Amino acid sequence: MSKKRMNDWFRKYLCGLFILVGVLGYSQEKTITGTVIASEDGIGIPGVSVVEKGTTNGTSTDFDGNFTINVKSSGILIFSSLGFSPKEVVIGAATTLHITLQEDISALEEVVVVGYGSQKKSDITGAVSSVSAEEINAFPVLNAEQAIQGRAAGVVVQSNNGGEPGAPISVRVRGNTSIGASSAALVVVDGFVGASLPQASDIQSIEVLKDASATAIYGSRGSGGVILVTTKKGRNGKMVIEVNSSYATQNVTKTLDLLDADQFAAYQQQINPGYVQGPENTDWQDLIYRSGNVASHQLSFSGGSDKVNYYVSGNYFDQKGVVINSGFERFSFLSNIDVQATDNLKLGFNVFANRSNKDGVASQAGSGGVGQGDVISLAYRFVPDLGVKNANGVNTLNTVGDAVDNPVATALEIVDETKTDLYRANFYGDYTILEGLSFKTTFGYSTRNNTRGIFKPSTLTAGPNGGIATVSNFKSTDLLSENYVTYKKEIGKSSLTGLLGYSYQKMRNETYNAGSQGFVSNSFSYYNLGGGSIYLAPASALTETEIISQYGRLNYDFDDKYLLTFTARRDGSSNFAKNNKYAFFPSGAIGWKVSNEEFLKDNSTLSNLKLRYSYGVTGNPSIAPYQSLARFSNIYAETGGQNVNAIVPDQLANPDLKWESSYQSNYGLDVGFLDNKISLSVDYYSIDTKDLILNDSGLPEYFGLQASPLKNIGEINNKGFEISLTTKNITKENFSWSTDFNWSTNENNVVKLIDGQDILLNSAPGSFIGQGQTHLLREGESVGVFWGYEYRGVNQGGTFPEGTAGFVNTAGEELFTDINGDGAMSSEDLKIIGNPNPDWTAGLNNNFRYKDFDVNIFFQAVVGGDIYSYTFEELASGGSNATTEALNAWTPSNTNTNVPSVAVRSKRTSSRFVYDGSYVRLKNLAIGYNLPNTIVTKIGMQGIRLSLSGQNLWTGTDFPGTDPEASYQSQGNRNSNVNKGFDYGSYPNIKSVTFGINLKF
Amino acid sequence: MKNYKYLYFLLIATFIGCSDLEEEPVGLLSPDGFFKSPADIQTAVNGAIGNMASEAYWGRKLTVSLLLRGDMATIGDQGTSAARKEVNYFQMNDASGMVSEFWPRSYEVIASANEAIAGAEFVDATPENKSPITAQAYFIRAFAYYHLVRVFGEVPYLDQPVINVDDTKTISKTSVADVYTHIIADLEEAKTWLPNVQPIKALPSKATASAYLASVYLTLGEFKKAYDEAKYVIDNEGLFNLNLEPDFQNLFDADKQDALKEPLFVIDFNGFQISNYGMDYMAPITGIRQNQRLDGRADIGEGWSVAVPSIEVYNRWDGRDYRKAVSLDTTAVFDGVTQPFSYFPTGDSRNIASAYIAKYTRFPGVTGGANGRASSINYATMRYAEVLLIAAEALNEITPGTTEADSYINRIRLRARNKAGVLTSFPEDVTSGLSKDAFRDMVLEERRIELAFEFKRWYDIKRRQLGTDVFGPTGLEPQVNFDPSRDYLFPLPGDELQRNPNLAPNNPGY
Repeated sequence: MSKKRMNDWFRKYLCGLFILVGVLGYSQEKTITGTVIASEDGIGIPGVSVVEKGTTNGTSTDFDGNFTINVKSSGILIFSSLGFSPKEVVIGAATTLHITLQEDISALEEVVVVGYGSQKKSDITGAVSSVSAEEINAFPVLNAEQAIQGRAAGVVVQSNNGGEPGAPISVRVRGNTSIGASSAALVVVDGFVGASLPQASDIQSIEVLKDASATAIYGSRGSGGVILVTTKKGRNGKMVIEVNSSYATQNVTKTLDLLDADQFAAYQQQINPGYVQGPENTDWQDLIYRSGNVASHQLSFSGGSDKVNYYVSGNYFDQKGVVINSGFERFSFLSNIDVQATDNLKLGFNVFANRSNKDGVASQAGSGGVGQGDVISLAYRFVPDLGVKNANGVNTLNTVGDAVDNPVATALEIVDETKTDLYRANFYGDYTILEGLSFKTTFGYSTRNNTRGIFKPSTLTAGPNGGIATVSNFKSTDLLSENYVTYKKEIGKSSLTGLLGYSYQKMRNETYNAGSQGFVSNSFSYYNLGGGSIYLAPASALTETEIISQYGRLNYDFDDKYLLTFTARRDGSSNFAKNNKYAFFPSGAIGWKVSNEEFLKDNSTLSNLKLRYSYGVTGNPSIAPYQSLARFSNIYAETGGQNVNAIVPDQLANPDLKWESSYQSNYGLDVGFLDNKISLSVDYYSIDTKDLILNDSGLPEYFGLQASPLKNIGEINNKGFEISLTTKNITKENFSWSTDFNWSTNENNVVKLIDGQDILLNSAPGSFIGQGQTHLLREGESVGVFWGYEYRGVNQGGTFPEGTAGFVNTAGEELFTDINGDGAMSSEDLKIIGNPNPDWTAGLNNNFRYKDFDVNIFFQAVVGGDIYSYTFEELASGGSNATTEALNAWTPSNTNTNVPSVAVRSKRTSSRFVYDGSYVRLKNLAIGYNLPNTIVTKIGMQGIRLSLSGQNLWTGTDFPGTDPEASYQSQGNRNSNVNKGFDYGSYPNIKSVTFGINLKF
Repeated sequence: MKNYKYLYFLLIATFIGCSDLEEEPVGLLSPDGFFKSPADIQTAVNGAIGNMASEAYWGRKLTVSLLLRGDMATIGDQGTSAARKEVNYFQMNDASGMVSEFWPRSYEVIASANEAIAGAEFVDATPENKSPITAQAYFIRAFAYYHLVRVFGEVPYLDQPVINVDDTKTISKTSVADVYTHIIADLEEAKTWLPNVQPIKALPSKATASAYLASVYLTLGEFKKAYDEAKYVIDNEGLFNLNLEPDFQNLFDADKQDALKEPLFVIDFNGFQISNYGMDYMAPITGIRQNQRLDGRADIGEGWSVAVPSIEVYNRWDGRDYRKAVSLDTTAVFDGVTQPFSYFPTGDSRNIASAYIAKYTRFPGVTGGANGRASSINYATMRYAEVLLIAAEALNEITPGTTEADSYINRIRLRARNKAGVLTSFPEDVTSGLSKDAFRDMVLEERRIELAFEFKRWYDIKRRQLGTDVFGPTGLEPQVNFDPSRDYLFPLPGDELQRNPNLAPNNPGY
């Protein structure tokens, strides 16, 4: 039975009842008392409306859910409260009633938070994905970002550094829409634009706005998609105290098979017959990895009355990393207080504070040269025939390749601490001026203070000349004032919602750093910079940005069938260049609820069918502060041994520089079957991003400028499909099973570059001298395709086989495709040898509930992206330890192999180190148990839940490295867009087993 | 209605923040109105100096290219970057990874000098107050173009800051003759205004400008003018406070260089760098792999064995010459044992069995990074010995067989006989009365030895067209690829020709 039909039926039925009630109007009166409790937690619900049907006779429940009402004995009572399914009870002979109200999941789900407001889900015309609190908290996560991974179609979440405690995590919506600017999604927390995410356990819901219709309200910052986060609020009722604790043990998912000391010595002796084997046999991976653990404890208080609601939580998180000497610790607090000050005025105050402390170890080194190198890649490459200390008690140095420090000394002796304080306060007032017309103003302030201290002692080559210490600080403050009026009006079959707003935001970033080297003692850490004998150059900088915006939205709904949405924002930004200070971003969308049309209304199979289309423009805040101004810059210079002031021409003025604009169209289809037991959403989008800002490589270098000027010239397209399918397979009282599946593709394509010229890029570690280019941007290709020589196996001697050539013609050497057919290798033989962009990504989530037990199984898959492994390239270079692949190297007697002879070779980008990075991962497997209410209430509690879960327990992949979620050199705006699929020295991914307990009082 | 008071209150919040959105950066420099005093001109000149003392220029890219291109150093570790090997083995193409670095950096040096010269126009000061500073910029601009024109031949010539982007984008190359005309004009301007003596050698003096004029004229074959300029410096050596340093070794000792009278101009490093500024790499580039150094400088660590003299450089250098001992390292320490160079490849397979360059690794002073990078070395781009050599060479071309020419060489040899305070008998004085050709050959050999590894040799080979000899089968460094019709010039960067097609064609053969 369709909803509509049900409503009609109800109406007729009620009408009949009305008459009946009238007839029985003279029945006897009596007093009924009772309580109303919620089905979920058995707690009394305050403020439930209790109305005698067909009359104005009514009351509401008190704080504990109790009520008293005088009724006619033959009447019917209707119990209703927001968020619960209403219930009708025939009074009959009873004088006491114990009513249990079911939470109305569908009603809750149907409201979706959108920018500056909320909408019924069925009225949405844009592409919006929701992630519920339940999904976010299915397993303990360090960051809320991780909780979104695999949950929403078109949203890609990736750690910048494997499983490193406290590593930054990037969230991408529908691919990367820029090259030089950030493509990261804009995060809005409780209306605060540009906030950082709170604790996962404090989040009520996350909405991901994906198409222009949804994001245009955020104008020049909307093109990367928007993550809207709503934190938990107190509910009317008694105070609920909740304790959430979890403890996890963690281990690396995979290690590499490397040569042991004997194998290594034999290997090196093939290169250098004079190689003398060292005294030890060390498995460096074994030494740097350990079993890590995570403890997380949260205590929250929530509750409220008609006038005041509150939610207050405190959280402590402590992670001991799986790499020795790494860890992360965090305290955080969140408080949400909402006050109904008068009938018309609601006030609220939201505070979030957080302190974190990260103990880092070097990973993903930018260079593996002497004095550099990270713990992870050092553990792979360092010779296995030495120990941590030599016979004299001094840290060992590598004896092949660069004489780098050993990984254990690097991990233990380098201090790298990052302390971050985050504070955000947001006040709002919401005033209802007239029925349907309200005005809301918010005023918020946030500040982030980040201090990083590094000390490298003199016992390492990393700290030559008596050790190096540096301290750097970054402080940002962000002030935001938003003001908007909302107007709702229903006229006949039309319903209209209008929004008009104005906002002002000011951001200020201050940085400084200082350093020193040459300390008399290694005991100072970085706390005595003055104690150094050589001071490193200090630096400080300030940038300020102001944004003034006007925005508006009009939603029009005719007859609950036809939907129209218009959105626009005008942003003025100080960052914009002189001649283009204001930008305008409009969008429009239409929706058609086909299932509400007469011809489908009665269809019992098809419960929902909606078609959506949207088109609009959004922007990218692609211009950094002062980037359009002419500039001199300072450089380091000295004459006669003394530092002197020195300036150089840096960049020319560019008063015409414009923001980047994304023109996005979105076609959407929402279908529900069998009373929405099966619901499916399909979206197709295409985003043309134009005016991409690129360095004008077309300007000759003889201009002599430090910075090549910027130009609005590039164009890039992202298009893809997204499918979300939710099915409620079984919904029995004692057993339920539901499935969420999402699948998405994104194909990106570089459309236009300066003069059609390729932009060649190199992300190799600095120590890979002579590596050449590693990837490029080329019109007609995906972003960041790998660029190198195509490996064709081992030269067996004699003339090169047809179509191949080598850098030298010796048996055992590498053969590559000889594209230009000249019998030799040159830059003309370079080609695209891999594409790091996945073909599709998917998430599959199954929830089972049997009586008091529940099980969650969550798989995530990424298919089709390639990985370029600098790790394997380094391990095959001859100047390091090697993988056991080296045991199968070509020799005159072992010719049937793909592994070249053992030798020291120049490092070159070749397809030999390109791997398929596809994987399927069992992201979460969890079993939970809710103790039965009867037991729980006996000990005076409201709920006890125990859970046991495992994360990343299984991964299916052909990638031979440690983790297919590879991400090297991906920090910073440009790198995060163009450097994809590279692997070097990443902190390993981790698998965890977590025990959790949840107590409610 | 009284509830409206709340609304008014809320509306107040709306009016926070009104702004014209103009950017007013603090802590950044706008070029507008920057030049106010002579000190501001010096600041721009210092920008040029800072760019010269950077990795992409004198720190490594230009200097290593010049070193490898000549016959005094070849590739040690064959695993080193292809860009370096291409320069050494005459296999360069227009995508050279060396050129792609020092080409733009050369023009950054020039751009700073141009800013200083143009900015000086805005400085309200007497010529006496500002021109001696501006003259440094003229000298530096000449210095940078002098290298460019010798390395590349015809190059685009800019002598003012970029004002019209579109016009500057399409300029053509300037002929070699015209570039030299500009260089000479700049050096003349510099010579006019620079002081006789600068407090530090990192700033050019009148003598520096004159010595560079002598060098330029020598390169152009205008020997009379070359002689006159060199003679002017020599005649005024007291005025200019110039002399030969008695101990040749001290010229290459970072702790002693500042006090020396011999250098006329140095590119100064002080053991400190910020990213690639103040960063030189000659110590590791020329050092020995796995050398443990027992000289108290274990902190430096090993070298990278990149640029190493061929064994013939060692074999044909008279062992009695103190300068050989100063210039070359013949032993290194492996596993605590001092070993001769024949053992070097055993100590590490990336070494070759040859003597290694010692001028930059032996006494690099305080170093700011591992392997001796970011050293404290002052690289003398012109020292008094070279002025004497120029004078001798030029005079021989004008009037062969003079005792005056002999005397200049003899001063250098006399100094070379001073073996750390002990006077030896080698090298002997010049045999007097040499023919013009014999004297010329002798001077060029003297330059090769005296100025070994000081980035001069390639220019001598080019200037005197010695390539077919020195890279021939009997040369110090036989190079089968050497092609005199191509290899006396480096290729211009291919991508630069794409950006401005008016720079085409590239040099012959590229």
